[in-house]
Amino acid sequence: MSEAKEKSNTKSGARASLGGISKYAPLMGLVLVVIIFTALTGGKLLSVTNLQNMANQVMVTALVAIGAVFVYGVGNFDMSLGGAVLFSAVLGAMAGVKTGSIVVTFLVCVAVSAAIALIKGIFSAYIEVPFFIFTIVLGSVISSVVLVIMGSETTIYLKDAVREIPSFNFTQMTVINVVFLVIYFLVCLFLFNYTPVGSKTRMMGGNKVSAKQSGINDKKMHILTFVISAIGVALAAFILIIRTRTIGSQTAGSVGTDVLIALVVGGMPISGGPKSKISAGLVGALTVVVLNSGLTMVGLSTALIQAIRGIVFIVVVLVSSFSYRGKLLPR
Amino acid sequence: MAQELIFEAKNLTKHFGPTVALNGVDFQVYRGQITGLIGENGSGKSTITSIAAGMQPATSGEMTFLGKAHSPATMIEGSKLGIGMIVQEQGTVSGITVAENIFAGEESRFRNGPFISKRKMNQEAKKAMEDIGFLGVDPASYIDTLDMQSRKLVEIAKVMYNKPQMLVVDETTTALSQSGREIIYGIMRKMKEENKAVVFISHDLQELIDTCDTLTVLRDGNLITTLDRDQMDEDTIKKYMVGREMKGDYYRADYGTPVSKDIVLEADHITSGSGMLMNFSMKVHKGEILGIGGLSHCGMHELGKVLFGEDKLLTGSITHVPSGEKITNTQTAMKLGFGYVSKNRDTESLVLTATIKDNIISASYDKIAKGMVMTPGAVKQFVDRQVESLSIKCAGVDQDVQYLSGGNKQKVVFGKWIGRNCEILILDCPTRGVDIGVKAAMYQLIDQMRKEGKTIIMISEELPELIGMSDRLLILKDGGLAGEFMRSETLDENHIIEVMI
Repeated sequence: MSEAKEKSNTKSGARASLGGISKYAPLMGLVLVVIIFTALTGGKLLSVTNLQNMANQVMVTALVAIGAVFVYGVGNFDMSLGGAVLFSAVLGAMAGVKTGSIVVTFLVCVAVSAAIALIKGIFSAYIEVPFFIFTIVLGSVISSVVLVIMGSETTIYLKDAVREIPSFNFTQMTVINVVFLVIYFLVCLFLFNYTPVGSKTRMMGGNKVSAKQSGINDKKMHILTFVISAIGVALAAFILIIRTRTIGSQTAGSVGTDVLIALVVGGMPISGGPKSKISAGLVGALTVVVLNSGLTMVGLSTALIQAIRGIVFIVVVLVSSFSYRGKLLPR
Repeated sequence: MAQELIFEAKNLTKHFGPTVALNGVDFQVYRGQITGLIGENGSGKSTITSIAAGMQPATSGEMTFLGKAHSPATMIEGSKLGIGMIVQEQGTVSGITVAENIFAGEESRFRNGPFISKRKMNQEAKKAMEDIGFLGVDPASYIDTLDMQSRKLVEIAKVMYNKPQMLVVDETTTALSQSGREIIYGIMRKMKEENKAVVFISHDLQELIDTCDTLTVLRDGNLITTLDRDQMDEDTIKKYMVGREMKGDYYRADYGTPVSKDIVLEADHITSGSGMLMNFSMKVHKGEILGIGGLSHCGMHELGKVLFGEDKLLTGSITHVPSGEKITNTQTAMKLGFGYVSKNRDTESLVLTATIKDNIISASYDKIAKGMVMTPGAVKQFVDRQVESLSIKCAGVDQDVQYLSGGNKQKVVFGKWIGRNCEILILDCPTRGVDIGVKAAMYQLIDQMRKEGKTIIMISEELPELIGMSDRLLILKDGGLAGEFMRSETLDENHIIEVMI
């Protein structure tokens, strides 16, 4: 009996300290992934070229994932984020080619992304169909529309523009990247932690009925969170255009799943609610990009990488759901 | 009289992290007796029974049941051994029929080749319900078509079908109207006559005194005393529960206080969307405590929701008289100074996984934020004021609400609305499931708000608190007004019950 007692004591002790650690678990996960793949690739993971390469990939994933914290936070499971990036990038690039103006390109990216956000917002606010099903459908509709719009062309080249669109060298690109990401991250961090918008987001994700009874305008919040997320999507699309200068129907193909994995790995509860945090978008994006890059460098096939990403996803969901169990006091 | 022991716990202890829920409790249950358990929220009464039923393991201690060592790993094991448990929370599964609920997990007993015989299952379900005297529900109908009380009775039928040797009734009666309670009392009496055992947990002292043979009082995880029938009276029990002498009356003491003639709120021939209220009209005066009572399906809970703009009206209108504005949604209501405490604390009033802080500020963003910014200082000030003035017991305001006891949860809900400085507060069963210590604090608070000129609409299923607190009491029946009573020392329950039923 005393043995059983001891056992359960250490168990509850371990659980208590786990609560303290769990706050930093995503960061520790990131460090772990970096260490593992640095070792496996003999340090090549952290070579200058690869760091540049990873930094580029992080931009797009992080911008989308940070904004998505708001959307997932209120409890909307959005599977159409990759599609939204693709659609904004394609229309933005086409507008750029037609006008030769980088400003127009940017504005079109914002407008398209905002329009998609409004559609999603209005749908989730007013129509009672499970939202994630709608976003799955929306995602595939967007890819078909993109194919239709692009017609016989498979790729849009910025060099075909009527007037030359300025290209940026590495340093300039880095500055743009850092400015966009830092500003967007800080704005989101501020909104999420120091304004009613963030608090309302968390409360809605935690209990819709209670949030509504507290006078939170849920319809407005649905639309607002999508609009915030749309800014990240637009920035991501714009960066893709000016960096790669070519946009194809396969552009941003993995962004949707990357963002989902990033959020979960970053410590975001997948159903949203009070434990949501903006840092999940950034930390998660870094982790996923290192994971992707590391797996590729180790020499695994794309198919295998997909499988491993899937396994990581499931494991993280499983582990994070452990901490919810067995903690509740009965009244 | 020779008493035959059916269940015994020795030195039973349960820890939740640093919290001690049960501290070495010795507890016995005898055959042919109804054993009451009482204590404030968080005193450990549900913990004992849930360990006995197999919902959770004990940290240490020993149990014997029917003469054998007892340590069920799951509730299914507990129920096979003969412990049946009826709990407060909703336990039915929606989207399936009544019969499927009763026989969930035991479908194979109706197996007919590869198929399940619905007909046999429905017959057996009907029998199970008839056995507890619950008639008039078709076992083939979907559980969602039943009201809350009937769903509870379905659960009870399920528990009783397994013919438990020991039945645990855990705060079930608060969710039931008088007719539902009678069914439970009947079951408990029958168990007693059959020389089986009942453990009855309730916050309702009178109910416990009326039904129990012995009453065990718990406080802070310790067993304080066990009382026999002749020792049970309300004041003694309260004293043991709280650990100090409680004053006799805890409602407001004044009578004949004049109420303002000004009308603040008017409901004009309203019919609610759910059809629970029919063509109902009333006026609310400024600064009064308006009590609203009735049986649980009289429409009073819906009235609370439509007054706050939470439920839509089919016909009629609700007007905030001083401003002339119509209440059509919660945002308008809140702008005009309304507050609403729902009857369903855990599912509607609180975000359980959020912190105390986030819950308290969740109705007052407009009061706390300057422009768009909500500074941590302003938030802290707002929250600390509520935590202090309501003396919410917590480790810190960043603690999740779900780990608080029922009474403290309800204080958080009150804090959320008091912080807004509401002019009109609609309280639906404000003291439901809270212990008498917190209850007394709530009544004082409500009376204090009345003195400050706030208008309180108190909807309740408990007549004593309605009689004790209200300036005016409206009794609803079948969605309409059945009677109106003014505050008076001579007002008694029987008179009101006549109007209610």
